Amino acid sequence: MTFDIPFLLKVLATIAKAMPLTLAIALVACVGSSLLGFTFEIMRRSNRFLGYVMRFLIDFIRSTPVLVQIYFLYYVLPYYSVVLPGIVIGGLALSIYYSGYLAEVFKAGIDTVPIGQSEAALALGLTPLTVTFRVIAPQMLRNIAAPMGNYFISILKSTPYLAVIGVAEMMGTTLEIASQTFRYAEPMVILGIVFFALASLMALFVRHLETRLLQSTKR
Amino acid sequence: MSFPEIFLGILEGMGVTLTVTLFGLCFAIPFALIAGVLQQFLSGWPRAIVTFIIEFWRSTPVLVLMFMFYYSLPVAGIYFSATTVAAMTLGLHIGAYGSQSVRAALQALDRGQVEAGLALGLTRPVVLWKIELPQMVAAMLPTFVNQFIQLVKGTALVALITMNDMTHRAKEISQITFDPPAIYSALLLAYFMLLYPTTIFGRWLERTVGRRTGRTTEGRAGDV
Repeated sequence: MTFDIPFLLKVLATIAKAMPLTLAIALVACVGSSLLGFTFEIMRRSNRFLGYVMRFLIDFIRSTPVLVQIYFLYYVLPYYSVVLPGIVIGGLALSIYYSGYLAEVFKAGIDTVPIGQSEAALALGLTPLTVTFRVIAPQMLRNIAAPMGNYFISILKSTPYLAVIGVAEMMGTTLEIASQTFRYAEPMVILGIVFFALASLMALFVRHLETRLLQSTKR
Repeated sequence: MSFPEIFLGILEGMGVTLTVTLFGLCFAIPFALIAGVLQQFLSGWPRAIVTFIIEFWRSTPVLVLMFMFYYSLPVAGIYFSATTVAAMTLGLHIGAYGSQSVRAALQALDRGQVEAGLALGLTRPVVLWKIELPQMVAAMLPTFVNQFIQLVKGTALVALITMNDMTHRAKEISQITFDPPAIYSALLLAYFMLLYPTTIFGRWLERTVGRRTGRTTEGRAGDV
């Protein structure tokens, strides 16, 4: 591999330009998958029939590749004349895929909150919705911050899949520059380093958060 | 083309999907065991190197890894087939996740087990192989099954490096006949049929092992 410094800098600049969009999509997918996953989990617990349906849905989401889900949304929605830009499809697909995993995390999280908490809150006359969001959710989040954070890192690492539907995130722009210059090796290595650095930073933050939360529960 | 025809056409790619999975396991399982054990037993610089290798394979998106090795190995004069590159990158990525459950299982084991083994005059490697590993299997199994599912799902990516797996078959069929709903439903169905039994098995394992060891195994699954 010959080292062509100006070319490498150009690649790095292109990746840096695409970084805000990549992070924005990841952020949207983090929020989307959390909300969707929490809703799924609440529905799974609500009644017996809905419980079976949601369980099947969650298992279905978890049993199919995210790439295929992206293709599905991207090619099937326009067929029914629902035309959405690639960025929206991408955020939607990642939200749906990771909601299946986050629902499982929330399941474990809700189980860690003693049943007496919700019973007491309900007995005090709070509505079920208030109990869910004001009593259970805050206590649960403390226990599941670490696994949630790990899935958020996974979401960031899944953004390259969106290159296949033409979203100009970091992978997409890198592929573009590679196909223009017929040089794939160096841009891919640089992209790998950038993702590695970003994911490691996030992992450090998650670990920091985890230890702080553990300390605060001890007190 | 009718739906059954499309579905059967997609299933023609199952062979490639399964081949990459199988070869991927050949990379994933040894890497998970060796890296996990080394990370637990080494200290200082050697440990930092092992940790870096694990983190490299775990923290870089698998698609980027696959493209990186697919394009840069030939530059270095190494010519691997697409199957080898795909199996290696997917396998080591999943194996890096697996190594963390190996390490967690080692740490969770009662210290008395090792001490008793050493007191009986067994050497450290023998204690690891004969006493610790067999007991760890039960704790690691649910995570390993989940990682296996991630590996199979990850093989969908090989379609992007020109391999003719189920996803690639679906793309080919979509060039012959314009029927996206049927084609991509059939593709989802194919993966679902392949993996749903494993998902259910993993759930059952999690419950059983969780009941026996009293802790939940949900947490770090792969992300493919």
